[in-house]
Amino acid sequence: MKRFLWLVPALLLLLTACGSKEELTETCTISISCATLLDNMEQVPEEKTELVPADGWLLRETQVKFAEGESVFDVLQRVTREHKIHMEYSDTPMYNSAYIEGIGNLYEFDCGSGSGWQYSVNDWFPNYGCSGYALEDGDVIEWVYTCSMGKDVGGYVQQEP
Amino acid sequence: MSSRSLDMRNRDTFSGYHPVINLFYFVLVLAFSMVLMHPVCLCISLTAALCCSLTLGGKKSVRGSLLLLLPMALVAAAVNVLFNHEGATILAYLPSGNPLTLESIIYGFSAAVMLSALVLWFLCFSQVMTSDKLVYLFGRIIPALSLVISMTLRFVPKFKAQFKVVADAQKCAGRPIDEGKTLQRIKHAVTVFSIMVTWSLENGIETADSMKSRGYGLPGRSAFSIYTFDKRDKKALLWLTFCAVTMIYGTASGKFTWQFYPVMRGMPLNGFVLVLYLVDLALGMTPVFLHWQEERNWKKLQEAEA
Repeated sequence: MKRFLWLVPALLLLLTACGSKEELTETCTISISCATLLDNMEQVPEEKTELVPADGWLLRETQVKFAEGESVFDVLQRVTREHKIHMEYSDTPMYNSAYIEGIGNLYEFDCGSGSGWQYSVNDWFPNYGCSGYALEDGDVIEWVYTCSMGKDVGGYVQQEP
Repeated sequence: MSSRSLDMRNRDTFSGYHPVINLFYFVLVLAFSMVLMHPVCLCISLTAALCCSLTLGGKKSVRGSLLLLLPMALVAAAVNVLFNHEGATILAYLPSGNPLTLESIIYGFSAAVMLSALVLWFLCFSQVMTSDKLVYLFGRIIPALSLVISMTLRFVPKFKAQFKVVADAQKCAGRPIDEGKTLQRIKHAVTVFSIMVTWSLENGIETADSMKSRGYGLPGRSAFSIYTFDKRDKKALLWLTFCAVTMIYGTASGKFTWQFYPVMRGMPLNGFVLVLYLVDLALGMTPVFLHWQEERNWKKLQEAEA
């Protein structure tokens, strides 16, 4: 009988692990758009042109649930997995910042040197990584692909010289 | 290099051809292995490399290098999967959160195949191109530089031997450099060094006089070489040139293009592309074919005699 004693803490651990899934209580809206690429198709490499949807929407506005304290990055990761959209990021744990390199196989610098993904919450473009923005109930997240460092989508931030 | 370079143990047919043919062949095969990142071409290259190293080196050496190759190939494939997450077919999600895509797996395998093929080709190269062939070849192309290099290489062991002679003589004269007080040893070492400098300069003058007396530097001086360019070599040159031209045309016209990301796509398989693949395979298998042909002739002759 004693040899099964290890099962008790193992089961407890398993139960607590299952139970620690947070309750998704709050709601927000998220959308992913690469419409700016449609205006600059000649700069996009040939093999990626077919990845750009005709209307520019990789993900139309959808309501998603999230747990309290989650960041924009957590929501993005969950949504892209659910909708089977490809997403690649690189994490810098030192700064607690996740950088989104590509969504839907459309990567940064695919449309010139000023191209990449930016996000805005309630029409405001934060100047830091998406894993550092704590969401609130009712926030509207928009992920947009810019071809000119944000000037074409309204997210341009003047770099200090 | 081991004694293999001078004894004629390498008795396969391809090594018996003129060194220019050998070099041309390896340059072609290595260049195509490195440049053509196409799954079919890479597989052809690996197969040809395997067959060639079996023919040229024998089973033992291939087995030894395979033991090294397979883990290296697996590591290359795994590393690509861990760092590259591009691709349209997501199979799973890695613990880091990034996707594991089919395209990155296949790209990793292709890179591993290329690495293995290159290692095997370099193995073949080292077995066919012995040091005397390389010296012969580069002596023809840059005679002055190869002369300087061979003289430098000759000088170093000579200097070492003479140093030992001088140090021993000084030791017998009561000026050892390996025992005694440190200051004394340094003084004696300086003496030996100054003797060596004098000897080197004198040796240089002697060598120069000897070379001058044997006609080095005279216009029209020829060098003996055991390699003759015969009809067999001419035929091989024509064949290699034909293969080179065909493959270069295929590459330039885009028949060998293949994209891995985001979706895997390449030229559709039509007749001309198939011919190109066959030419690639034939080029790679040239030494194997030549060796097999010679073996067959030799057996026929032996049977005829018996």
